[in-house]
Amino acid sequence: MSLMNNAVIRVEWYKLFRQSRTWYALGALLLLQVVLLLNAWYQGASLLDIFLENLKQSFHFQGELLNGHLLVYIVLNTMWFHLPLILMIVVSGMLTSEMEAGTLRTVMMTGISKGRYIRSKFTVAILFTVLVVILVALTSGILSYLIFGVGDLFVFHGALNFFESNDAFLRLFLAFAAGSFSMVFFSVVSMLLAVIFRETVKTWIVAAFFLIVCNLLLQMQLGEGWFRRLFFVNLNDTWQMFFEYTINWSAILWNLIFLAGYILIITAVGIWWFKKTDIE
Amino acid sequence: MSLAAIQIQKSFNNTQVLKQVSLHCEQGEIVGLLGVNGAGKSTLFKIIMGLVSADAGEVSITTNKGKMLGGIIEKPALYEYLNAAENLRAFGKIQGAPVSDAATTSYLERVGLDTKRSDRVKNYSMGMRQRLAIAIALLNDPPFLVLDEPFSGLDPMGVTRLRTLIMELARERGIGILVSSHLVDEMIRTCDRIYVINNGKIIREDTPRALVEKSTSYYLISGEHLERSKVLRDNGALIQGHTARVKEPPKGIENIIKDLAEEGTKVFSCVPETDIKKLLDVVDE
Repeated sequence: MSLMNNAVIRVEWYKLFRQSRTWYALGALLLLQVVLLLNAWYQGASLLDIFLENLKQSFHFQGELLNGHLLVYIVLNTMWFHLPLILMIVVSGMLTSEMEAGTLRTVMMTGISKGRYIRSKFTVAILFTVLVVILVALTSGILSYLIFGVGDLFVFHGALNFFESNDAFLRLFLAFAAGSFSMVFFSVVSMLLAVIFRETVKTWIVAAFFLIVCNLLLQMQLGEGWFRRLFFVNLNDTWQMFFEYTINWSAILWNLIFLAGYILIITAVGIWWFKKTDIE
Repeated sequence: MSLAAIQIQKSFNNTQVLKQVSLHCEQGEIVGLLGVNGAGKSTLFKIIMGLVSADAGEVSITTNKGKMLGGIIEKPALYEYLNAAENLRAFGKIQGAPVSDAATTSYLERVGLDTKRSDRVKNYSMGMRQRLAIAIALLNDPPFLVLDEPFSGLDPMGVTRLRTLIMELARERGIGILVSSHLVDEMIRTCDRIYVINNGKIIREDTPRALVEKSTSYYLISGEHLERSKVLRDNGALIQGHTARVKEPPKGIENIIKDLAEEGTKVFSCVPETDIKKLLDVVDE
């Protein structure tokens, strides 16, 4: 039985897209991209000229450096904070709004098991997150390439790296794919927080705090050896590894496997917690 | 088919909210759970519905039907952003109930809701929400319904319509219905049998008639020219316009009605003024 054949998942999906806040969130993400593009349009060229003045004298770059690839890369960087924040708000709201409105009680009185219901919530949260990442990739790509065209991509990741246009396109695509693991991680964390805290605002505050702390810890690169390798905070920027000059495929693959493991563990804890808790 | 809660106990943070509570309901019977706010009614119903786990005791439902219970706890909780038919479909799909247009129309008709109305339920009155919530509870035809404070927040017309619906469901469809409320009058009018709960303990189980006798101190008599009545004056009635409030006399209200008829006073109605506290006080004594 495919996922979408599951009636409960279909109903959750339907409810999610019948709520205005979901569309507000998608609208906000689109607007964010437009703002980034407008900013690039007005300020980007002059800033780049200042930044790259010396380099341009020594190297030949194909096309404009302020191009679609660079803009997609800038949008991709919303994965640090903006995108997971909006995802966490929407995803946790899927459960807390039902708890606060009492509809969770109505659902639980239909005879459905707690386990099946919360599994459907987690499934829809993951599907929604992947869909949002795809949408962000598509809209940022379409808008950026239409307005700014293509060219070589330069990014600063440890060092200033330059990628030819075709290579840049592939790297951006793979970064979005890897980034979707991080976004799913934050989404399932927010669902777990919703299960624990049960109130919308409280869950949002804790979710935002978690995201901020994750970003701070990532900057600090805590720990050594295996701990540093396995600490979930350090796995969340795996998508950035596609912008190292030589892609370390093995490290990326293992990071994503570990991240998937964290996602499974958090989901399992969320399901267990929900099943053991009374519905007030 | 029967529904029974047996020796249920529940505590929250060392406060015992249910103390060995037992009750039962048979098919086609309307059983009331009467108590003031905080008496433990909602907690007991949540336990019966499987939302909250009991510390001790059990809920036993003997039925051969797939879905054993439907219910409303505390308030009718619906998806505000969907219309009535969409709510029915959403809750129906979750439990595998038939949700075709014909089926949803049938459920809406059963509870007396306008089947043509397509606006979101956030525009609905409390009475309409209660009806829609009952339609949702009836999905998959459970043999028992649990309705927690269904009369709260309804206007008098809404109360009457809901009471009629509850009685129809019990009498015509044979559904056993457990109803909780703090409104003595409504419970007396609606239920076949009533449990009184106080401080988490069932303190009484009676017929509505017996509860009327035990909970009534005053009667409201409506009639013509009551101010001229010697019978009412002699019985210390407070008269205001066409209504007199009389304390129940030792010889019984039926004799006052008889005396009023004999002195030629026209009486339109005589309504007992019930007081839940009196039911609780009687036991405390």
